[in-house]
Amino acid sequence: MGDSQYSFSLTTFSPSGKLVQIEHALTAVGSGQTSLGIKGFPQKFHLSDQADVKLLHRIIRPSNGVVIATEKKLPSILVDETSVQKIQLMTTNIGVVYSGMGPDSRVLVRKSRKQAQQYFRLYKEAIPVTQLVRETAAVMQEFTQSGGVRPFGVSLLIAGYDDNGPQLYQVDPSGSYFSWKASAMGKNVSNAKTFLEKRYTEDMELDDAVHTAILTLKEGFQGQISGKNIEIGIIGADRKFRVLTPAEIDDYLAEVE
Amino acid sequence: MSRGTGAGYDRHITIFSPEGRLYQVEYAFKAVKASGITSIGVRGKDSVCVVTQKKVPDKLLDQTSVTHLFPITKYIGLLATGITADARSLVQQARNEAAEFRFKWGYEMPVDVLAKWIADKSQIYTQHAYMRPLGIVAMILGIDEEKGPQLFKCDPAGHFFGHKATSAGLKEQEAINFLEKKMKNDPAFTYEETVQIAISALQSVLQEDFKATEIEVGVVRKEDPVFRVLSTEEIDEHLTAISERD
Repeated sequence: MGDSQYSFSLTTFSPSGKLVQIEHALTAVGSGQTSLGIKGFPQKFHLSDQADVKLLHRIIRPSNGVVIATEKKLPSILVDETSVQKIQLMTTNIGVVYSGMGPDSRVLVRKSRKQAQQYFRLYKEAIPVTQLVRETAAVMQEFTQSGGVRPFGVSLLIAGYDDNGPQLYQVDPSGSYFSWKASAMGKNVSNAKTFLEKRYTEDMELDDAVHTAILTLKEGFQGQISGKNIEIGIIGADRKFRVLTPAEIDDYLAEVE
Repeated sequence: MSRGTGAGYDRHITIFSPEGRLYQVEYAFKAVKASGITSIGVRGKDSVCVVTQKKVPDKLLDQTSVTHLFPITKYIGLLATGITADARSLVQQARNEAAEFRFKWGYEMPVDVLAKWIADKSQIYTQHAYMRPLGIVAMILGIDEEKGPQLFKCDPAGHFFGHKATSAGLKEQEAINFLEKKMKNDPAFTYEETVQIAISALQSVLQEDFKATEIEVGVVRKEDPVFRVLSTEEIDEHLTAISERD
């Protein structure tokens, strides 16, 4: 990657030991549209055998899952909002939302999709969420060290459901990632996180999580919130990630009023 | 060589500024405006129309060679506003990509797929230092088999959206304000209305009436999905219709 003329890293240490390009990338994320994610917790079973736990999950089917949501503010009413989808699928059971520079997120989604398929081709098994997160984060780290490139100007919230239950990870431009019970990114991050800290409970059901997500977005929302200017993606025990239609979002909004 | 501490190089290559901005990308947008041309695109119920100014700076120039409207395939057109040289480079690559797509997959490249490809290429130039962003905003038009008439706009930052109507170039904001009023209630324009809205938007924003030789018009219609550049006679008909209507 990068031409030989630029085979030196553009991200270098400042005298105080900071990587300023990454910090600037985080600033770019902080000026992006707000997005957030909430994870419902699996019920706790105290069993000695892991296999029994997996079997129990399949029989009892706890109605937990993960929800991710984002503002979808478009630059003009002339933009056809059906042509824009910010929440994307990485695999059938893993979805992602970003805050920051949209074009950069497309690159990451494309690379991650390919990595997921390569994993499947090799192991004939769906890629676990943690593995995909790790590989995506590795790509982001590469761009902070390789020659002639700048870091990605996005933070990602990756939501998935696999044999380890529902999972939510946040990946930053530096390539570091953490698992979250609930998180927010973008313009309104501090208010959103405070709101989530108050509202989050460990035994949240998916429907409650969607309501909480909507209320959190509403906190910092400028203008009239509707199914056309926010996007919500959910994944439950059925392991199928899906983006809600504007009509479904409007139904949830009506319930929240 | 000082690198990326915000000590000036953030304005020369696409690395982040302390505020998290990419100055090179912002300057690329300015280059689009500096061309001095304004373009308009409007999507109707079953057609799409794009209009742009045709400024021939020298009377000795061969006017037929001055153009910003390029067919990418028989069915997809591209209107490039900004640096003409960058436009030709992009058009060449897009034509190649569309032809390869047709060969590989056996069906015509859809408009939104081409728009995404162009936008992804633009994004690479915003992230890799060895290539600068292109100084053009591209409007891509075509009729999609499933979705009907499509108008996409791709910019130097790598963004792309589908539009009901849009504008690019010097008077971009004024034109968008004009079009927002016209498109407010989701009207479904016929072919004639689409062309006339586009031309009258340009006339209103630039506050001058055009001769047919001073503008270029490109259209695609559902009943004839081929991308066509209108002849001077056809443009004249529309201009007459507009002035009679007023």
